Amino acid sequence: MTPIVCTYLAYLLISVCLTVWVAKTLHKNGRIFLVDSFGGNEPLADSVNHLLVVGFYLINIGYVTLALKQGDKPADLQGVLETLSTKVGVVLLVLGAMHFFNLFVFTKMRRRALLHGAPPPLPPQGRVIVAG
Amino acid sequence: MKRLHILYDAKCALCCQCRQWLARQPAFVELRFTPLQDPFLASRFPGIEKYSPERELIAIADDGAVYQGASAWVMCLYALKEYREWSQRLSSPALLPLAKRACEAISENRISISRWFATSEHRMMARNSDCSSVCVKSLR
Repeated sequence: MTPIVCTYLAYLLISVCLTVWVAKTLHKNGRIFLVDSFGGNEPLADSVNHLLVVGFYLINIGYVTLALKQGDKPADLQGVLETLSTKVGVVLLVLGAMHFFNLFVFTKMRRRALLHGAPPPLPPQGRVIVAG
Repeated sequence: MKRLHILYDAKCALCCQCRQWLARQPAFVELRFTPLQDPFLASRFPGIEKYSPERELIAIADDGAVYQGASAWVMCLYALKEYREWSQRLSSPALLPLAKRACEAISENRISISRWFATSEHRMMARNSDCSSVCVKSLR
């Protein structure tokens, strides 16, 4: 096996494992946000959660496979480690950005859901009788 | 809160434009518009005279809570689906004084501002009686 093939295999293994780990974390911990956002409708929250994870996998694994060929072609062990580190670093940054984007979406959905039952933001200045 | 009554000056074209805009927005709370010129105003809302409704916009909740000026505008935004977040922002201590000043300035000068907005139809109706029929017509 040439150094370049080793780099590719290690890159794929590390990147896919990281993607699966982040997706599982999002799936597990994002559920409670979604259930709250959908007013306690658990089947709908689970469905949206699953769809979000599918989108997350598609984007991240798509990026990992597209970026496979990019970068230097290492000739020795030092080159393998350097190239691997750069490529995995970029994948981590992409995963981080996606993770924060997901959090942003969850928070936005939750805030919108809470708006519906929000009390009036100001106290009244007085009272009258409403006759009709 | 299920309903919010809005008391507006039907002789002011700006108020009519605002009324039309409010009525077009999707709302959490039903908005009911009552012109100040309504002869049954005092009997529908006994005690409303002491708030001088001709001075500034008034919003009355279905439980009788009265909001006037900037607070009434904040309550109008609170009733709308797309702008409830804005009502919470504007009611913060930092922004409410600014909103109050802006509303007072607009309310005091509403007739002169109305001249920029008024269509010939509005002007004619304002001269005769009120513009509520224009508002109603354009909402249909």
